[in-house]
Amino acid sequence: MIEPGRWVELAGIEPRPRWTRRLHLFTAIVLIGVTVLSWRLVELQVIQGAGFNRLALINRIHRLTVEAERGVIYDRHGLQLAFNDPAWSLQVTPVGLPDDRGGRAAEYQQLARLSGRTAADIGLAVAADLDPYRPLTIKAGLTQQEAETAQERLPELPGARLDQVPVRRYADPEIYSHVLGYTGRIDGEAYKQLRGSGYLPDESIGRAGVEAGLEDVLRGRNGWEDVETDANGVVKQVLALQAPVAGRSVYLSLDGALQKEAYGRLQEGLAKANSKAGAIVATDPRDGEVLALVSYPGYDANAFAAGITQAAYDKLLADPGKPLYDRAIAGLYPPGSTFKMITGTAGLEEGKITPSTLLGCPSHLSFGAWTYWNWARYDFGLMNVLKAIPTSCDTFFYQVADRLGPDALAAYARAFGYGAVPGIEIPGAQAGVAPNPDYKQSICATPGSPECSWNEGDTVTMGIGQSYVLATPLIQAMYAATMGNSGTLLRPTIVHKVTDGAGTVLTSAQPAVVRQVPISPANLEVLRQGMNQCLNGPWGTAAIARVLGFRWDGGCKTGTAQFGGTGVDLPSHAWFVDFGPYNTPTFASATLLENGGFGEYTAEPVAVNVLDYYFDHRGQINLDG
Amino acid sequence: MVRLHPLHRLDLLQLLLTGMLVSLGLMAVFSASQPDLKRQLLSLAVGLAAFAAAAALDYRQLRRAALPTYAVCLLLLLAVHLAGHSALGARRWLSIAGFPLEPSEIAKLVILVALADHLARAQGREQRLPTLLGALALAAPPAVLILLQPDLGTAMVFAALCVGLLFLGGASRLHLAGLGAIGAVAIPIVPHLLHGYQRRRLEIFLNPASDPLGAGYNLIQARIAVGSGGVFGHGWLHGPQSQLGFVPERATDFIFAVYAEQFGLLGCLVLLLLFAFLLVRLAWAASVAPDRFGFLIATGVAVMLSFQVAENIGMNIGLTPIAGIPLPLVSYGGSALVTNLAALGLVQSVLLRRRLLVYRPEQVLERYLLNESGTVRLGPEIEAPLRA
Repeated sequence: MIEPGRWVELAGIEPRPRWTRRLHLFTAIVLIGVTVLSWRLVELQVIQGAGFNRLALINRIHRLTVEAERGVIYDRHGLQLAFNDPAWSLQVTPVGLPDDRGGRAAEYQQLARLSGRTAADIGLAVAADLDPYRPLTIKAGLTQQEAETAQERLPELPGARLDQVPVRRYADPEIYSHVLGYTGRIDGEAYKQLRGSGYLPDESIGRAGVEAGLEDVLRGRNGWEDVETDANGVVKQVLALQAPVAGRSVYLSLDGALQKEAYGRLQEGLAKANSKAGAIVATDPRDGEVLALVSYPGYDANAFAAGITQAAYDKLLADPGKPLYDRAIAGLYPPGSTFKMITGTAGLEEGKITPSTLLGCPSHLSFGAWTYWNWARYDFGLMNVLKAIPTSCDTFFYQVADRLGPDALAAYARAFGYGAVPGIEIPGAQAGVAPNPDYKQSICATPGSPECSWNEGDTVTMGIGQSYVLATPLIQAMYAATMGNSGTLLRPTIVHKVTDGAGTVLTSAQPAVVRQVPISPANLEVLRQGMNQCLNGPWGTAAIARVLGFRWDGGCKTGTAQFGGTGVDLPSHAWFVDFGPYNTPTFASATLLENGGFGEYTAEPVAVNVLDYYFDHRGQINLDG
Repeated sequence: MVRLHPLHRLDLLQLLLTGMLVSLGLMAVFSASQPDLKRQLLSLAVGLAAFAAAAALDYRQLRRAALPTYAVCLLLLLAVHLAGHSALGARRWLSIAGFPLEPSEIAKLVILVALADHLARAQGREQRLPTLLGALALAAPPAVLILLQPDLGTAMVFAALCVGLLFLGGASRLHLAGLGAIGAVAIPIVPHLLHGYQRRRLEIFLNPASDPLGAGYNLIQARIAVGSGGVFGHGWLHGPQSQLGFVPERATDFIFAVYAEQFGLLGCLVLLLLFAFLLVRLAWAASVAPDRFGFLIATGVAVMLSFQVAENIGMNIGLTPIAGIPLPLVSYGGSALVTNLAALGLVQSVLLRRRLLVYRPEQVLERYLLNESGTVRLGPEIEAPLRA
């Protein structure tokens, strides 16, 4: 029984639909809409489908550069000096960063805290990056602790990741700092020029020393890989790969043990002389290969490899010892008495003196209005050049210089390598100065005024390596080698050989002669004898070497180069140049102690110790092996 | 020959179409974002319950509740302004017992019922201006509140719903033309009223290449995904654009791009046809509705769904500006799924009652006659309660 008022169905009676006009219109609009959408889909998916497929491919397939490993640097005997160590590096894939400005800025702050760079700096680096899918290195060479801290933070840092990337390391970084230099990130300005050579914006490049000088050899050829990534740049699979070719191995001409000894001895000698800086350059007079190249103080090149912080860099720049300054090749110092063989050569070759010409060696001499003193303030008596060199008689050489004039002196200085950049593979080598009157005018504060014109005093002091003469320790070492090897000026080289990964020698050093110095063998022999007499003669300024236990035979010359004016009792740089053994020299060197006092008391012990070490330990080794 | 509430009178075709669309949606959501599927299944369960409840409920009972729910809904929208959660720069969500609730979705259905009620009351006065103004007055407050969230897309749905109901409800052609004219004048002003990112979206729609890595990225990536689907698609779970994350908002606004990439043109045509059948079926439901209110409910649901489908697919393939409207029944999003299923349930409720009459014991069945249009003509004494 159905209760009243309840809804019931009328069975079997289906109401006929009442389609109003507007309901029809609505249905028509729906069908038209579906048709329009369908047509658009046909257009996108069929007509333009292939094009969109390609766009989708471009979206997710990216060619990423695979950085080549940098070549290893060895000493001439195969001791590793610079190599690549796997280390964690913090990277960011720009496309994975948060899209909103606020989120991005917050992440830059976090990354800045982890990397020690500033957030603005990171932002600029990301903005300058060309490929948002390529991971950009924010900080390479993280320490274990830094890596762990970063690892913990990674989940909150979209787009950031840690990757194992080789980082440059140096064995004994301070000892080799100036020779090897360091690598660092390319900075923004430099990148504009380097982009053409296939460099990546965050790639490391040699910034100093051999790292910079042999950049093209060490760098290797970058490879690539085609990867499929997701929208955040996370690599899903590698589709194709062109392996990179590692940089070549460079065997420096340096003798690692000798370099270490030289650095240690120099440090020791500097401490004794109460001097802060110095340099030693040793070369083989037969081929010009540099055996030791020391500039003290050094710096920790490893700090650069990982990306040096601004604070640490500023500290290096502010250091009064100027550790970044490579004194061995760029330090310009008056050569002092070590220049006297050049004055002697000029006098002999120009016929102003003969080996037997006797000149006085008074305590002082006057030229015009100027009076110049001998280093020892008493009269040594008459002497020829053979005695003037070992006694280092200043007044003798004043007279020779006065006879020669500045232009002839400068010409012989140039013949020995002064005034030209030695062609060593390290950037930054300085040329030294073989001065003439024009040079004095050019550096003078008030050109044209009387004090700028060359005077006789300039000429005579030039004869003892003062005046405006300047040389670097490298120029001095090559000059000493020239005295040793019968007058052949060689081009210094730091590279012994270059090999590929398999050890095949690609290039090896060939002696390169710059010039044969215009000096007759007889005259050269007189000067060499003079240098030998420095050691062995009764009045030799270097005779102290015998007291130090010096056993070999060779030639040398001390120098006490005054600076800050002319006269006695001025601060002076201590020099010592040498070659040995006497008849067939295999070693020549120049030693400088900045502000070190008398050459024979401060530079000589250092040089003698290095020479001793070389001949005791390395003299027998076949240097080409 | 009398049966009580026969469930087999349910529109099975509508149910089938809905089921297929929801299934395709679940597949797309799974491929776009697997963790979202669980939540979507939960929403589906709630949605099915809402569907069943709405179908079982006598839709006529809703007329009494229309105004109170409308008021509650306005309060909820206000609450969003005061205590809502933000995402992508807009406040849209309320947290109810830990579940995110989007009142603007529920508002769609509430406004629909309120408008249908209003227009049903105005039966016979459809052409009159006060009827139209009354409808506008009902739709405007929630639309403005939602526009302020800001949510341009949902506000546009409200406008479409209002205009669609007025049109199908028989408003004067002249008034509709006037409304259209006002709209035409207002549209050039709209960009100045829009929030920064909405104006950007409009500009980018007009020229997507202007900002390929910024805001235009979405549009370009979605179009690439659709286009690279080709005729047959990459296959389920295999679209690189969506699997590798290039398509943005891929479980919600751009689910169609994900679907199109995987199922290609054929899959898209299937989806479009399913929607077309469903909409036509809803129009049919309106045509057999036993009363004015039921007619308006069914047309309202049809208008609401059709606008959202057109706008969403349109923006996925670059025919309409990006407006942040989900694809009904397919996109991830609980509030929208539950609302849409409840709306379809309401239409079922109308359909279930399409042949129901009040049985009065004193009446004789022979007195019911068929009129020429096939509908049941009732005696005046029992027709009256249906009008109420």
